Amino acid sequence: MSYLPAAPPPPPRRALLRGALGLGTAAALTACGGGSTTPRTSGDVTLGLWTHDPGYEAFFDKGIPEADRAGDFRYHLKVTRAGAPDVVTKLLAQAVAGRGTPDLVGFEIGSFPRMLRGDIAERLLHDFTPDIEAVPGLKEDLLPARTAPFSRDGRVYAFDSDTPMVVYFHRQDLFEKYGLAPSMATWEEFAEAGARVHRDHEASMCVVSTVGSDPGQVVQSFQMLLYQRGGAFFDADGTLVLDSPEAEEVLRFLCRGLRSGFVVEVSDYYGAGMQTALKRGRVIGLPMAIWYKNYGLVTNVPEQKGTWRVRALPRFAKGGGVTAALGGTGFGVVEGKANTRAATEFLFRTWLTHEGQVRRFTETGYLPTRRSVYEDPRLGAYQDEFCGGQRLFGLYRALLPDVPPFHQSPDQSILYDVLGGNLLRAYHGDLSPRQALKQTAADFRDQAGR
Amino acid sequence: MTTTVAGPPGAAPARSAPKGEERRPRRPWAPYLFVSPFYLLYVLFMLVPVGVSLWLSLTEWVGLGPPHWVGLRNYRLLATDISFHRALGNTAVFVLVALCLVVPLALLIAQALNTRGLRVRDLWRTAYFVPIVVSPILVALIFGLVFDRQFGLANALLRALFGTGGADWLGDPDLARVSIALVMLWRWTGYLTVFFLAGLQNVPRELYEAAALDGAGRLRTFTTVTLPALKPVTAFVVVTSFIGAAQIFEEPYLLTGGGPAESTLSVTMFIYRAAFQRQQFGYAAAAAVVLFVLVFGLSRLFNRLLGIGRATS
Repeated sequence: MSYLPAAPPPPPRRALLRGALGLGTAAALTACGGGSTTPRTSGDVTLGLWTHDPGYEAFFDKGIPEADRAGDFRYHLKVTRAGAPDVVTKLLAQAVAGRGTPDLVGFEIGSFPRMLRGDIAERLLHDFTPDIEAVPGLKEDLLPARTAPFSRDGRVYAFDSDTPMVVYFHRQDLFEKYGLAPSMATWEEFAEAGARVHRDHEASMCVVSTVGSDPGQVVQSFQMLLYQRGGAFFDADGTLVLDSPEAEEVLRFLCRGLRSGFVVEVSDYYGAGMQTALKRGRVIGLPMAIWYKNYGLVTNVPEQKGTWRVRALPRFAKGGGVTAALGGTGFGVVEGKANTRAATEFLFRTWLTHEGQVRRFTETGYLPTRRSVYEDPRLGAYQDEFCGGQRLFGLYRALLPDVPPFHQSPDQSILYDVLGGNLLRAYHGDLSPRQALKQTAADFRDQAGR
Repeated sequence: MTTTVAGPPGAAPARSAPKGEERRPRRPWAPYLFVSPFYLLYVLFMLVPVGVSLWLSLTEWVGLGPPHWVGLRNYRLLATDISFHRALGNTAVFVLVALCLVVPLALLIAQALNTRGLRVRDLWRTAYFVPIVVSPILVALIFGLVFDRQFGLANALLRALFGTGGADWLGDPDLARVSIALVMLWRWTGYLTVFFLAGLQNVPRELYEAAALDGAGRLRTFTTVTLPALKPVTAFVVVTSFIGAAQIFEEPYLLTGGGPAESTLSVTMFIYRAAFQRQQFGYAAAAAVVLFVLVFGLSRLFNRLLGIGRATS
């Protein structure tokens, strides 16, 4: 005979409800806690990665074995994707909430200036400066032109994904057909030939964007040539230096080009307007960053594969270089978290290694940010099929010394808003280039620092 | 001792009630408990945010770290901010478009759709209502193509009809406002039509018959029968359209980004830009408070003028 204790009577419903409420409250309070900030030093670690581009996600994912081999961590990634401006907005919201921040964040270059407002960057982001100095030779090898956009007061807060050199894309078949010598050396020669081509063939050799909803794009058209000419928006201290003779010269050049047809307006560089212009042969060349091949040309006119070529920008007769830089995405690490050290090491062991930078180019098309990687023979042997099998790395190596630094200011979005409007007025002839720049400087002074 | 109530003759004697039970319920707080969720949520999600916005408007805050108290500085800056003045002016234009174009057009379309003997009535109603269902992103994409200067449908149409069509619909400040107004017309007219249509269907048929007997023509019937009968609906539509237009965001944000040269910048876009592009949360909150005061005050004025909430004699 076995003895079985009598089953206890079922708890009353009210007791069950009280218990559930208590458990729920405890769980909610636990979840609201800030989480441990004791730094992890080894073992399994899951890094929260926020990015706007799936290409970066794939890159980091593939880099895990390399990072695992190089250190004491075994990495896993938990990726969240959002629009470029939303990444910053959500990061700040989570930081205010005190929890839920990522470990690794990709800042699209145009969104990063928000992190420079007040002391946000100092409070929230890890300063990589000591880490860079701890790696022998790294500081000298990193291109200052690409650390500048993500730096403040000499501190580096993110590492750029690219050295987005501005080059001149052109249709070789149509250049030959219209009797255009690809060896033309100056913009002035281009403009003269461009006016003739527009008159005879209704085609244009340069483009400006006039998309109303995106001041950034409107500004970019001008920015590329301004930086090539030796001008700038801001200096290293974040002071506005736009109102310069170089800026006036470039804007006058573009306005004249629009009147002659050498330059054509498109609503935006990526949309249907540009696609139509490219397909109809209305645009046969344009200055743009190297990534435009993948994001603009290949997507809009894949059938024109093999007809496009890349060359250095023509020079301005009065001076300047043969390239500029446009775009970029900086990866930063959130400070003061348990995974801060792990995320920093992960970045150094994937993003900044020689192999990592070679792989980044082959997988995503972004140019290295370390000078020494440009000498890698694998990159030198790379042939671009869309550009008729051109070996482009010789060109990139030659352009490298001319890549100008791009300094950002917390008030950059104000500049883009006011400059975009005034550029359009100048393009349409409502303001002279001089007036447009003066008005921009005045509007900026009125709004900045509020 | 128990009290008994005398019933009618022949009725059973009433049950005796315990002392005091009829005068006081056993759980006097129960009704308050049942209505409390609404008030809790109202306080949490309405009053607290409004209060925080008011407080934030008196500070300077970049979005992280402690806000710095600046008193009325943000309001003083707003008073001299040309961008804010532009935004107020643009918003006023959009409000006028909503009240003077969209609402009357909706009324006319509703009147047309209410005509007896109209064929495929449901198709017409659906066609007018569809724009409000379409995602704003799609609206922006479609109208971006329509208004493209070089390759847009609008200019192509103008070229085909009149031989000229180089209008810069989204790049010229004045035309950009016109473009936004056209999109507002396209998007909201059908939505408001539904309200008017519902109102029209409730107008007693006898009133129209009486007007016909009196020899009233169409216009006379419209002004003496339809419009007075639609007064409550019209008041509702006018006030909600005003509030909606005063807070317009999607159309200019997606189509022009507030440009060119801030010519389509609305107050809500100004607030969004200050907070989420420039990290000036205190300044954005101050602009939001100004917008709140303006919209609230003018809505109350409209309510008074249109007699909303007043009993009809």
